[in-house]
Amino acid sequence: MSVFIASIGFGLVTAAVLALASVGFTLQFAVTNVLNLAYGGVMIVAAYAAYALNERGVNIWISAPAAVLIGAVLSVLLNNLIYTPFGRRGTTPIAMVIVALGMTLILEFGTQALAGPTNVSYIMSQGATVKLGSIELTVVQLVIIGLSIVVMILVHGLIRYTRLGKAMRATAANRNLARNCGIRTDRVITVTWLISGALCGLAGLTFAMNSGTFGATSTDIFLVLILAAVFLGGPGQPYGAMLGALVIGLATEVSASIIVSDYKDVAAFVILLAMLTIRPTGLLGARA
Amino acid sequence: MVYYITTLLVYAGVDAIACLGLSQQFGVGGVTNFGFIIFQAAGAYVAGALSLPSDHVDGGFQSYIFGWHLPFPIPWIGATVVGGLLAIPFALIVGKRLRGDFAAIGLLVTAVMFNLLVTNYVPLFNGAAGLSLVPSPLQGSFNPQSTGYQWGYGIIAILVAFATYLFVTRITESPYGRSLRAMRDNDTVADSLGKNVRSLRTSSLIIGGAIAGLSGGVLVGFINLWDPQAWGYAETVVLFAAVIIGGLGNHRGAMLGAVLVPVAFEEATRYIPPVSGNPNLIPALQWVAIGLLILVFLWFRPQGILPERRRKLATRFASEPGTEPGALQSPPSDFAAPVTSPSSVGVIETEVENETIGAGAADGDADTAPATTDVILECRDLVREFDGVRAVDGVSMAFKRGCLTGIIGPNGAGKSTVLAMLAGTLPSTSGEILFRGEDVTRLPAFRRARMGLVRTFQLASEFKRLTVLENLLAAIPDQQGDTFLGALRGRRRWGAQERELIDSAQAMLEQFGLLGLADLYAGDLSGGQRRLVEIMRALMAQPEVLLLDEPMAGVHPRLAHDIGMQLVRLCQEGTTIVMVEHELSIMDEFCDPVYVLAEGRVLAQGAMAALRAKEEVVEAYLVG
Amino acid sequence: MSADMEIGVPDLPAGSVQGVELSTVDLTVGYDGSPVIHGVSINVAPREVVSIVGPNGSGKSTLLKAIVGVLEPLGGSIRVGGRDVTGWRSENIARIGVGYVPQIDDVFAPLTVRENLEMGGYLLKTREVAPRIDHVMSVFPQLSRMAGRRAGKLSGGERKMLAMGRALMLAPALVVLDEPTANLAPIVAAAVLQQHVRQLAATGASVLVVEQRARAVLEISDRTYVLGGGQVRMEGTPAELATSSEFVDSFLGGTSRSGL
Repeated sequence: MSVFIASIGFGLVTAAVLALASVGFTLQFAVTNVLNLAYGGVMIVAAYAAYALNERGVNIWISAPAAVLIGAVLSVLLNNLIYTPFGRRGTTPIAMVIVALGMTLILEFGTQALAGPTNVSYIMSQGATVKLGSIELTVVQLVIIGLSIVVMILVHGLIRYTRLGKAMRATAANRNLARNCGIRTDRVITVTWLISGALCGLAGLTFAMNSGTFGATSTDIFLVLILAAVFLGGPGQPYGAMLGALVIGLATEVSASIIVSDYKDVAAFVILLAMLTIRPTGLLGARA
Repeated sequence: MVYYITTLLVYAGVDAIACLGLSQQFGVGGVTNFGFIIFQAAGAYVAGALSLPSDHVDGGFQSYIFGWHLPFPIPWIGATVVGGLLAIPFALIVGKRLRGDFAAIGLLVTAVMFNLLVTNYVPLFNGAAGLSLVPSPLQGSFNPQSTGYQWGYGIIAILVAFATYLFVTRITESPYGRSLRAMRDNDTVADSLGKNVRSLRTSSLIIGGAIAGLSGGVLVGFINLWDPQAWGYAETVVLFAAVIIGGLGNHRGAMLGAVLVPVAFEEATRYIPPVSGNPNLIPALQWVAIGLLILVFLWFRPQGILPERRRKLATRFASEPGTEPGALQSPPSDFAAPVTSPSSVGVIETEVENETIGAGAADGDADTAPATTDVILECRDLVREFDGVRAVDGVSMAFKRGCLTGIIGPNGAGKSTVLAMLAGTLPSTSGEILFRGEDVTRLPAFRRARMGLVRTFQLASEFKRLTVLENLLAAIPDQQGDTFLGALRGRRRWGAQERELIDSAQAMLEQFGLLGLADLYAGDLSGGQRRLVEIMRALMAQPEVLLLDEPMAGVHPRLAHDIGMQLVRLCQEGTTIVMVEHELSIMDEFCDPVYVLAEGRVLAQGAMAALRAKEEVVEAYLVG
Repeated sequence: MSADMEIGVPDLPAGSVQGVELSTVDLTVGYDGSPVIHGVSINVAPREVVSIVGPNGSGKSTLLKAIVGVLEPLGGSIRVGGRDVTGWRSENIARIGVGYVPQIDDVFAPLTVRENLEMGGYLLKTREVAPRIDHVMSVFPQLSRMAGRRAGKLSGGERKMLAMGRALMLAPALVVLDEPTANLAPIVAAAVLQQHVRQLAATGASVLVVEQRARAVLEISDRTYVLGGGQVRMEGTPAELATSSEFVDSFLGGTSRSGL
């Protein structure tokens, strides 16, 4: 039983990392209608960017902005140099999936070519272990959860209360009409990619922190968890992504305590497939 | 050196076989199965398991994997069969109406999940370690390490690849293949024209799966081992890249892609000297290079190196001028004729009135066939409810044989919804639909089409990557080559009938004045021409009842008039037509009777002139 | 007049809108380098209602899309209120007072009627938005009854009204409408043209409307252009055109008896 409760704690940390990633993914999908399957690739490049500083002696928390920055810049470049040009040529959705997968190969194996095939870890202390009943989490894990909650609140504020958020909603609903309302949709899209990319970078960093060791292809499976969270809540629905992240995060860790931990991610796979088959618009999306 | 060449041959053969399977499934059938690699993996595992002996010096995992030690060629046959069988559960998932990219990730995720399960569940196929020491075929009689055996294997792999090529080409270049391509281009329309889309999709999956299984069997017999590392998501990407780069929809392109991407690529980087200190550099760069290759090709040449060929059937089977046209006998139409302006508007209207009288009930003109007044299609209390809203709220209509009936009504009245329910492309919530007295309410659209109830669509729905002639041919029912077995029997079986059908399709084109466009891709025509192709195609399906959904929308009034005249002629010859339209002038000219729908119910029915006199109709709807 | 198509008394905003002039000179527009319209020159005088009619494929929609910045012209120029706006992007053209009501995708479907209007007023200062919404709802009173409904669930006529209301939020000096009655039943179409479009004109704006229903739109126009094969074929006042046999033949011959 205490193992079960402890797994809830781990589930919350996974959910925290997943929330950062999923909200970033879904915001960008809402505005551009493109499934950025290279998202995992950008995450790991951002994680390595922080590592590059960290292994030279820079404290990981000071290296953290490097991850966020790389995530943001790389995402915007991805959109401007790859997705938008291919989209303008009328590339079919299937071909866009293949383009994204091709970019993933370039990002991940490019990183591996530079950094080598062995897994690495951040040089950092996980901090003391804090006990809350049966839940045992390190300080770092608590910081990750806290960080995630703060970011979620900021995202909520952005969407609901700022002019930019309004412009994002209009661009997501009907891009041409938004332009006819005077909204500079190109700028809105670029800013959305920046925000999504920053979240991606932050997710990559926290993912690496929470994983202990990581390698260039570590995010391949994690991408499936992100997709599961996104589709559970509904593609393009930021609050849905938050909900989905919580469910998937808990489901994977809790199932690890019940069944053999090798299969813990299978829960996410099954949920993703179920959503795609039964209700692709997600729990919070409008019925198709 | 010899081993190098023979290895190359085997890999080329195996990759070609796999790519041909994908080409057939994806390029021709339009089924995007990102889980494709699972079939190859299954084939390899099964071939391995079937050929392994029960006792082995190395560990003992083989004891639970059959241990039958079956001789060649049974493992290869088993691999093919299992690959095909495995496709059946996939068919259940793939058929869903899901956005292309969503479906793609669903299947990709399935492949990754299976890989994860097999890696971790050791009892299945020995987990991450996989199968090893898999016997080579006929290794009892020959020495697998000998040069002769190696060459033999290489040549057999190539031969199997060619046999596969002949097989898939025979399927594709047949009426059955045409139906597959039609489904690929627009499955809803294919369904409405009588194609059993679910069965076509399932068979595409089975054929592709079986071929992939075979490729796995051939490979595992050569490399003698198989583990989850060999079939990850990266390998899936490589296969798709090969087919797309080679040319989607072209089997030669698939083979070319197989040689270029997995094979030549791997070999090319072999010659780059390893960098000291980073031994993994070359393999990692190989993947980067494949990623770059994918992007470069999809940018500069998305149709592939060898794009799908346009089938120029009309040029090949050019019909002689003056050939007796097929079923439809009528004077040449003036669709392509120069515009003649009438002296006054009134003259045309008078001519039209005469036509209208002749179209419906048997009245006057001795030339018209005596129209029967029995009801051929009817619906009773038809209801369509969705999301709490009743788009159609208890509609009952009866359509008489040989009549040109119109359905009009304001926006949101439910006209198109009723039409879709009559055709079967939309399910009804309640009510009955009777066709020729039989209850067809639960019949899917393609069965109704085969019974003679065919519909057209409002928005552009031609099969874009089929030529105009192929569009028409695809609609014709009961073609000998339109089944898998018929296709397999080859041109000798269906060739003669095909030639006849081409003649009748060309006659139809000539009647509408579009014979010159026969070999052009339907997607390249202008809006008005595509509209005509849609109508002609529906007619080729030999309907007894034709349901037209706003056929004149956006069509120039003069063209609309000509189409109307054609429809009237068809009714005189016995076809029943039901037409949903907005343009009241068309109702005036051609339709009798006319139903008025409003808010999901029938408001009134009768001749247009009488309807104009009814106050509630005028109130709801008419002006002037 | 049907019972559910009420119009409020036209209320000019404080300081009525100054309709601007629009002119295109030798405009050539097309897709992928091949022109759909060539050498088209039209103009709309301040506060004029000008319509463009023509058969399908004549390029009417293409012309409008170039004017509002959705398509970039291949040649020629466009001037709004004396300013050269050729090749401007649509968000900038919207910012100088050009309102556009597209033929399809004319509302933000997932948003409510009120939110649609708010988006229409995106460029306004926050304190200006609510009064402006009130004004637009006085012009189209039916909108106030549907304020909380999702735009995607409205009927065709209601959506078109919302689309026009959304365009009105910025008190445009030029309103451009692309086949506003497409897919609407005749009685709704009549209301849209004779009442709603007239309402737009009553605000003081110049109006440019493209229509398939030639006879109906002629009734509300000051001047009409006839487009055919990508070029201007004829031009004149409704009276002039109605008596021209060429006009009658190419549009009204053999079809409409119902008056539309």
